[in-house]
Amino acid sequence: MANVMLEVKELTTKYITRFGEDVYAVDHVSLKVEEGKALGIAGESGCGKSTLALSLMGYYFAPLHYTSGEIIIDGRNISGMNPDEVRKSILGKEIAYIPQAAMNALNPTRKIIHFIEDVIQEHELYITKKDIYDRARKLFETLGLPAEVLQKYPVELSGGMKQRTVIAISVLLLPKVLIADEPSSALDVTSQKMVIKMLRQLMETGLISSLIFITHELPLLYNVTDDIMVMYAGQIVEKANSKEAVFDPIHPYAKGLMGSIIVPEKGLRDVKLTAIPGVPPNLKRPPAGCRFAERCKYVQPECKVHSVDLRELEGGRTYRCIFSEEQLRKAYQNG
Amino acid sequence: MKGYRKYFLNKLAWFLVTLVCAFLLNFILPRLMPGDPVAAIVARMAQGMSNSSGVQAIYEQYTELFGTNKPMLEQFFLYTRNVARGDFGFSFSQYPRTVADVLSASIWWTVCLQFPAIIVGWLIGNSLGALAAYLKGGFDKVIMPVSIFISNFPPFGMAVLLMVIFGVNLKWFPTSGGYGFDLIPSFTWSFMWSVIVHYQLPFWSIVLIAIGGQAIGMRSMSIYELNADYVKYARFLGIKDRKIVGYVFRNAMLPQITGLALSVGTMVGGALVAEIIFSYPGLGSTILTAVRGQDYPLVSATTLIITLMVLSANFIIEILYGIIDPRIKAAQAD
Ligand SMILES: Nc1ncnc2c1ncn2[C@@H]1O[C@H](COP(=O)(O)OP(=O)(O)OP(=O)(O)O)[C@@H](O)[C@H]1O
Ligand code: SF4
Ligand SMILES: [Mg+2]
Repeated sequence: MANVMLEVKELTTKYITRFGEDVYAVDHVSLKVEEGKALGIAGESGCGKSTLALSLMGYYFAPLHYTSGEIIIDGRNISGMNPDEVRKSILGKEIAYIPQAAMNALNPTRKIIHFIEDVIQEHELYITKKDIYDRARKLFETLGLPAEVLQKYPVELSGGMKQRTVIAISVLLLPKVLIADEPSSALDVTSQKMVIKMLRQLMETGLISSLIFITHELPLLYNVTDDIMVMYAGQIVEKANSKEAVFDPIHPYAKGLMGSIIVPEKGLRDVKLTAIPGVPPNLKRPPAGCRFAERCKYVQPECKVHSVDLRELEGGRTYRCIFSEEQLRKAYQNG
Repeated sequence: MKGYRKYFLNKLAWFLVTLVCAFLLNFILPRLMPGDPVAAIVARMAQGMSNSSGVQAIYEQYTELFGTNKPMLEQFFLYTRNVARGDFGFSFSQYPRTVADVLSASIWWTVCLQFPAIIVGWLIGNSLGALAAYLKGGFDKVIMPVSIFISNFPPFGMAVLLMVIFGVNLKWFPTSGGYGFDLIPSFTWSFMWSVIVHYQLPFWSIVLIAIGGQAIGMRSMSIYELNADYVKYARFLGIKDRKIVGYVFRNAMLPQITGLALSVGTMVGGALVAEIIFSYPGLGSTILTAVRGQDYPLVSATTLIITLMVLSANFIIEILYGIIDPRIKAAQAD
């Protein structure tokens, strides 16, 4: 079995708002990513994807707070670690992050190369500026970015270029896990393609050992990731390999999400998440039973009573519903 | 560099345009003042003289001297030529001193008082605002209301307050003048010391007002920057807070520089009032006596000098800002 780069067990985190209310945006999430693999995370807006990305970093600051669970990176459990230690020896080096708003991820008044110096010097005390520059230039060349970018300020770069620069900076320290939160959503189609190509290249060239790719545009995931996890209201509702998750979902929410994707490959581009009637529950007061119950076509009275556990099928596929796979499939056939 | 040149030329053009407007207004406005200043001077000089044709002769002599009998347009060209030469004519109220003479005696007092005070106030205010944003909690809860309170204090109010507390009640500092009235300006220790002691109250009354305004602006800018996406990203790359705070405050400070350019005029105006209250021998007191004596060459020249100072300060600040903030270059380049 391949090395597990990232293993997360029952991770739970919450926001504490200004008014002291708790928002349970990541609820007992478990996942595993092996070396050389990419995991996709999909779900509607507000279902907790970005919060999960932040929570996976193992370093928390207000308003996000750690509640319980474990994060193990390449065999090292970082959950009990001192936050300063996490920041010093884990962030950037073991696990790196590309924020959802990568457009604004760079300090507008600092030259790219100076920011790169800050990043590297934080982790390597005795490196010279010349060595840093050489390293950065080599990395940029490998990733097909012009070296002139290094001498520019973020404001002088186009959106797509800024995005790719952020990706390059994120992998400067060769992290074992890279978490990319919607790295392509705000871009035009050409730039999107370049970003996707770049992420693949990162895996192929070994600059990163594993990837978690978050998006609400499912078709993108299908081309990049090995497995897909569907999130709803802070919980995982289905986890499967990409093909099954896209073309043969089990959970009613996943089904609704992927619903309109029937023709393989062809036309995949134009398919966005289909609108499922209704809105996700307020995570300040999550429903007691199945969180999807309010919007589910197949809801039963008992769905709303107890929280529903994940079921595991043969081959490791999981989903969260009171019905068995056969029952659900039959229901789908009957429309 | 192309972007910056465009920015520079743009600012320079505006500087020149405002300068010309200010110059025109400076010429016209004092001449619209009611009353005939020459008649006033003559009346003062002729007190006790019964011979009315003598008075008439003096009147004509002065009119000739100051050129007030010429048409406005001609007066204007004369004025322009003279100003270019640094010749502002005679002061009416302090005749036979020239305006240039009166001004060169007072301008340095103002420059040495106001510019350090505004810069110190700006620096302290920004530091306090940044700290309030970063530390939050109790520090913020004290600094904020105090800043709002003092920044809304009229300049004369602050001057009077300091004067009453530290001058009149505690008697720590003298309440008027630029140095002891019994001293002759010289490079002696006792004179220097006297200057320093007299400097304190006007200086701090200007500083305090500036602190209040700057702290409020800096606090909200810093809070905004602390929540910026780049802060989160830098943290997740393992960069230390100390360095990130450096980014944040630099970025928060940049708009404060433009803020200074915008408010320097108001600040100088307030500071002139403080000078008057402390009878500081600077331009503030000069302009007050000039107005009282309907001394229009002096009023006109003083306002011109003040306007020139404010506009230049403004211009210099904006030029520096363009150099420091890379966003300016980028914005102009396309
Ligand atoms: N700073 C915050 N304080 C309190 N609640 C928050 C905060 N940020 C997000 N939330 C809440 O947490 C939930 C999950 O938000 P999150 O940003 O993780 O969603 P997302 O899946 O990334 O959505 P999107 O696709 O729009 O990026 C939402 O209900 C949101 O209202
Ligand atoms: S548990 Fe019930 S409500 Fe939830 S998805 Fe399954 S059928 Fe729908
Ligand atoms: Mg998000």
